[in-house]
Amino acid sequence: MIGAIDQESRPRLDWPQIIAVVALLVIGAAFIHSATASNEIFTNRPWFRQPSLWHLIYGAIGLVIAGCLCWIDYRQIARWAIVAYWGSILLLLAVFVFGKEVYGAKRWIGIGPAQVQPSEFAKIGFIFMMAHYLSRPLEELRQPSIFWRALGLMALPFLLILKEPDLGSALLLLPVGLGMLWAAGTPPRWILRLVGAGALVVSLLLVDVLFAPPQWQFKLKDYQRRRLMVYFGIDFAANAPSSERARLHREQRAHSYNVEQALISVGSGGWFGKGWNQGQQITLGYLPRAVSHNDFIFSVIAEEKGFLGSVIVVSLYSVVLFTGIRTAAQSRDRLGRLLAVGVVILFFSQVFINIGMNIRIMPVTGVPLPLLSSGGSSVLCSLIAAGLLQNIHLYRRNY
Amino acid sequence: MLIFDQLRKDDPQLRALTALVLAGVLTLLAGLWYVQVISSKRFVDNQRAQAYRTVRIPAARGKILDRNGHPFADNYPNYRINLYLEELPRLFKDEWRRTKPARALLREERLALESMARFTVVSNLSTQLGQVVGQPIAVSLAEFSEHYNSQPALPLTLANQLNAVQIARFQEQPVIPPGLDLDVQPMRSYLYGTTAAHILGYLRRDNQSREGEEADYDFRLPDYRGKVGIEHAFDSTLCGRAGMKSVLVNNLGYRQSESTWVESEPGTNVVLTIDLAIQRAAERGLQAALNETRGAVVVMDCRDGDILAMASAPSFDPNRFIPRISREDWEALSDPKLRPQINRAIQEHYAPGSIFKIITAMACLESGLDPDRSQYNPGFIHVGRRRPIHDLAPPGDYDFKKAFIFSSNTYFISNGLNAGVDRILEISRRLHLGELAGIPLPGQEKPGILPKPGEAPIAWHDGDTANLCIGQGYLSVTPLQMTVMTAAIANGGAVLWPRLIDRLVPQDPLHGSQPLVFKKAQVRDRLNVSKRTLELIQEAMRADVEERGTGKAAHIPGYTVSGKTGTAQVTDPSGKVVDHTVWFASFAPYEDPKYAVVVMVESGASGGGTCAPIARQVFEALRQRDAATAARPAGLAKPAPTFTSTPTPAEG
Repeated sequence: MIGAIDQESRPRLDWPQIIAVVALLVIGAAFIHSATASNEIFTNRPWFRQPSLWHLIYGAIGLVIAGCLCWIDYRQIARWAIVAYWGSILLLLAVFVFGKEVYGAKRWIGIGPAQVQPSEFAKIGFIFMMAHYLSRPLEELRQPSIFWRALGLMALPFLLILKEPDLGSALLLLPVGLGMLWAAGTPPRWILRLVGAGALVVSLLLVDVLFAPPQWQFKLKDYQRRRLMVYFGIDFAANAPSSERARLHREQRAHSYNVEQALISVGSGGWFGKGWNQGQQITLGYLPRAVSHNDFIFSVIAEEKGFLGSVIVVSLYSVVLFTGIRTAAQSRDRLGRLLAVGVVILFFSQVFINIGMNIRIMPVTGVPLPLLSSGGSSVLCSLIAAGLLQNIHLYRRNY
Repeated sequence: MLIFDQLRKDDPQLRALTALVLAGVLTLLAGLWYVQVISSKRFVDNQRAQAYRTVRIPAARGKILDRNGHPFADNYPNYRINLYLEELPRLFKDEWRRTKPARALLREERLALESMARFTVVSNLSTQLGQVVGQPIAVSLAEFSEHYNSQPALPLTLANQLNAVQIARFQEQPVIPPGLDLDVQPMRSYLYGTTAAHILGYLRRDNQSREGEEADYDFRLPDYRGKVGIEHAFDSTLCGRAGMKSVLVNNLGYRQSESTWVESEPGTNVVLTIDLAIQRAAERGLQAALNETRGAVVVMDCRDGDILAMASAPSFDPNRFIPRISREDWEALSDPKLRPQINRAIQEHYAPGSIFKIITAMACLESGLDPDRSQYNPGFIHVGRRRPIHDLAPPGDYDFKKAFIFSSNTYFISNGLNAGVDRILEISRRLHLGELAGIPLPGQEKPGILPKPGEAPIAWHDGDTANLCIGQGYLSVTPLQMTVMTAAIANGGAVLWPRLIDRLVPQDPLHGSQPLVFKKAQVRDRLNVSKRTLELIQEAMRADVEERGTGKAAHIPGYTVSGKTGTAQVTDPSGKVVDHTVWFASFAPYEDPKYAVVVMVESGASGGGTCAPIARQVFEALRQRDAATAARPAGLAKPAPTFTSTPTPAEG
């Protein structure tokens, strides 16, 4: 069999990427342990229910699924794209029916003891569907009808996730979808116009939300509005009566609290950090314990391992991203290229938004850090996406 | 670039995507570098500010000892039971869950109920503790809330000053309620209660930083500051140096861990010249003299100026100020008639009455009065146009000694007028009447009144001189000043600086610094009167006690006391006599004078009747002291004080 396939076309895994992915998983488990070691909710649990262990278990399951995916050519898998897409849409709808409400948002479905977050799977389904739909001759892509239909495919999960509400996950679909459209060859000026129009709407919306009198405001959830105000440093209490002002100021402090504490965590890490399990912000509970092991895991790493640790984490993500782009470039068909581009943009957006939020260059949105943040759905989907990249890399020449 | 090389030139989208990802990664790295490297210090400071609380730990106060090492003021171990709040959040949470109403709550309601739940937990714990130690222990809601809100990182003291039985009961408890622990804190204690209270002074709660000390603390443990007396005057010596500990607190403000940054240094001991036995004899004498005696006794070693006793009655108990004086006690201390806070030995001045005749006598004898020449005393004397001054001495012929013993006004006024006011005032000035005696009790000492040249009232008449001769009128003195005067007569004319502080000794003998000893026998001035004059006065004083004189109540067989009695009139502003201040100025033994004792009692019957018996009691104590000193081996005539000796506690 080896003799039949020549040296050039022998299927080979993209080992640097695999190593980076596994390294990120292990780092994730280590610092999830560190983030939960002083949290009573977790320390009261037996060892087999510790989130750090489950991070590794989900990682192993995810690696197995990704490995299985690599047995089948992505072109065959992509035939199921429509099923995957509509399946994830169904799941998103199911959230509204069976979903568990946490902090006023329905994002999870309980299946036995496990919690499934459909929006994570929707991202994968969406990438498959877009890649499948856009894998057509360039001429067709220049037809507006195709463009609008593609936008429709984007809008459906976007609106459903927005309704949960989970603004962060919903917004992630936009760069992924638009990037794939652009990579597929849709005329850039269409995309630019769309982005321009979108930006205009968003900025109007922002101005409306932040500065307009209340009765003219677009209805956002109160906490969303406040998050935005905190990010833009706008005083809550500017127009409030003096009796209300003290209370609002307290609230504002409470809202900016997470960001400030994350920033203190990251900043106090210095060059080399305080050492694993030595982070003061987390042991003393200043970094909120509810988010330290998922959305704010990066600040735990940055505090305990310092700038050095941050550079290592960012470098590992860079390896995944750039090998992903190389895979996209090497694939000989449009489908593989679009899939790879979609996955790369998805990873990149999550990494940039999440780490950016820790150093205050991005607003706080509940976007997990792929492979590092605790959370089964997120880990599984990230590994499926990474497996997809491997698959495209493996079968790049079978065309 | 590694990646760009592998991209085909005709793939602009992927090239752009690569550039975008690269830019994003570099942005993140730049941002991280800025936060973690450039501005790291700021965030480290922020973290420190939110996580560390500094606590001031007051040092153990120095002791105040008598000249033989008996501690007047000491620190005793105060056993307390503290409640460490950081042990309780789980109980707080359980209680809150149990009592939480089912309906939705407003924020304010919830906070109030949560605070109530916490209080219930603490209140239950203190009740349990009360059952353990067998003494009701209660915490008020206000007290607990205040502590919880302002210093949750510090323990809340539930029980103070536990006795041995209570400590044992607490320690033997098989299961101690959570968060409770025993600790020991030094607590000021005045072992002899009211003894020497005016000299010692008292403390008030004051947690503030001292001068030259770290001023910025988050929390301060209870500390005291001397407000009066030695406690006040030597506060900076006694208080030592406060230490500092830092407490690491979590996001709820509970203590996580703590470490001592600066150890506190115990304060320095102050050794007084006071002799406990003499002081107590003087105070007992004063107390027994009258019902609610208001008076003072000063005992001075007339050879070196050491104050052996300085008693003032009524006294107070400085222990009452710790931890806090009650309103009733404070009101008792502010009684307008008794004025227990006044140190009558130095803080109030009185007309000296007849004991001033000692000075008049010196002036007369120095100006050539023949002590043996008799003068007729008709029982009164006219001076100027004023009404006659009565003489309590019966009419008859008087020589100097008889006039002194019977305290004849006629004799001393007529001869005083001959000697002249200037001579009397000059001797008074050499005794530094009208000036502070230099007792290191700031704010307590009064200079008294002595007419000064140029400062005298508008017109000085002979009548004023006449008043001066018998210690009345425009003149007032403190008992301490009269003691200095008596000592000068006894020691042959040296006007000494009274000495109250013997030395300052570091509490830790291994500290290395040497004790600071204050000089003895500092001569302030000399009387500059002839030896014969002094001998005549000494002899007259001896006769006053030993022979049929007014001071015979001070007589001790085998111990020659010499003295002069006095009864000064206290007049209201219209000149009417409303009260008497009675005096007895004395020294002993006559043959080899060692001690000067001056007794003053307000509203007393007479110097001889009220004051002389007090002086006798003091002299008896002094005599025992001498006997004890003589009984010791020669080398140990003045033993070094043993600071570790356990004193016998105050009687009663």
